[in-house]
Amino acid sequence: MSQDERSMQTELGGVAHWLIQHAARRAPESLSSRLEEEWLADLESRPSALSRLRFAVGCCWATMVIANDYSRGRVPAASSAVAARGFITLADRNFGYFSLRSATLFLIAGLHAALFYGLITTLSHTRASATPSNLQNNVVQPVPPEKSPPPQQPGAEIKDWTIHVPKFVVDVPQNIDVESDVIQDTAKSPEPYSTPLPPETPTHVVRQVAGGPGAGFPETADFYPSLSIHLGEEGISTVRVCVDAKGRLTSDPTTFKGSGNARLDEGALKLARAGSGHYRATTEDGQPVISCYPLAIRFQLRK
Amino acid sequence: MGKKDANVRMSLQTLRVLEAFLENPTEQLAGAEVHQRCGIASGTLYPILLRLESAGWFVSHWESNDPSSLGRPRRRLYRLTSTGLRRASEVFASFNRGVLA
Repeated sequence: MSQDERSMQTELGGVAHWLIQHAARRAPESLSSRLEEEWLADLESRPSALSRLRFAVGCCWATMVIANDYSRGRVPAASSAVAARGFITLADRNFGYFSLRSATLFLIAGLHAALFYGLITTLSHTRASATPSNLQNNVVQPVPPEKSPPPQQPGAEIKDWTIHVPKFVVDVPQNIDVESDVIQDTAKSPEPYSTPLPPETPTHVVRQVAGGPGAGFPETADFYPSLSIHLGEEGISTVRVCVDAKGRLTSDPTTFKGSGNARLDEGALKLARAGSGHYRATTEDGQPVISCYPLAIRFQLRK
Repeated sequence: MGKKDANVRMSLQTLRVLEAFLENPTEQLAGAEVHQRCGIASGTLYPILLRLESAGWFVSHWESNDPSSLGRPRRRLYRLTSTGLRRASEVFASFNRGVLA
């Protein structure tokens, strides 16, 4: 650390001390000396000069709040007459219906609203400009009809159509007859907006086995929040995890369906994070693949 | 100090302070330690500690060890009272039932 940095830290430390002493003097007199000693002691625990300065500024704000509490009688003073003399200047800062605190809150809320409005406006503008102008044309553009029907392999009969999406298999009945009319019509007189059927190609049915917690996955009990145990809270929290082929998380887990208790949901997320590397990957035709799936975690106390 | 077992307005920050003490109800914590656990700024933390102490939920006293042996100034330590423990548990239980205290 250079000489300049050391001298700057010393100066900042001095400013923090002065701010705390100044703030404590403005507090109700019955608390003044106590707060000064308490805050100066807690100031010592701050690691850096900047955090000390932030702490001292916070103490100035705390003095205003404490004085305001005393003026409303929320915190009874040991000597109310003496205390009243100490914070009378702060109590005078209330302006009719709006106190200084309310005005500050309104100002902050207004700034947030303006920022939010600006963000939404910018985003909508960006999305509008990013949308290609010929998108509509791409959607409705007719596909030119094929000159000849798609080649069909001799002896290859189409047994069924299977549209494969993860976890859902949609079977289309075998006897749906869609091939001849449409294809022949387009061959004779192509309709400008008719939708030709895709070429009939046999599809491969992928056998998928969903993943889950594997060997070495952490115990749920180790992540049961201690306060929840104390309060007897139970529930099932479902988190969404994305796992690679080696059972490691590819992104931070998120709450898929909460238990109704924020502490348990947080415990479930911690457990899901700790389990990275111990997940059983989802397999497709026996090959592990990257996938995302919900994982239900039950927090239940032993009776 | 002040009246005992009074109602305290439950803000999110107040709940976080209570949660820090409920982790180990017999533990005594200085303001600096509560800040480390909850991350609440000093401008909010100390008024909350004073309100809870005034309401009889907390008691506070100066650290009894000699500051020269500690190598730092003595700290003000806060601890949950039996009333505070009961009322804080009630507050958290009522939140779990979906009822605000």
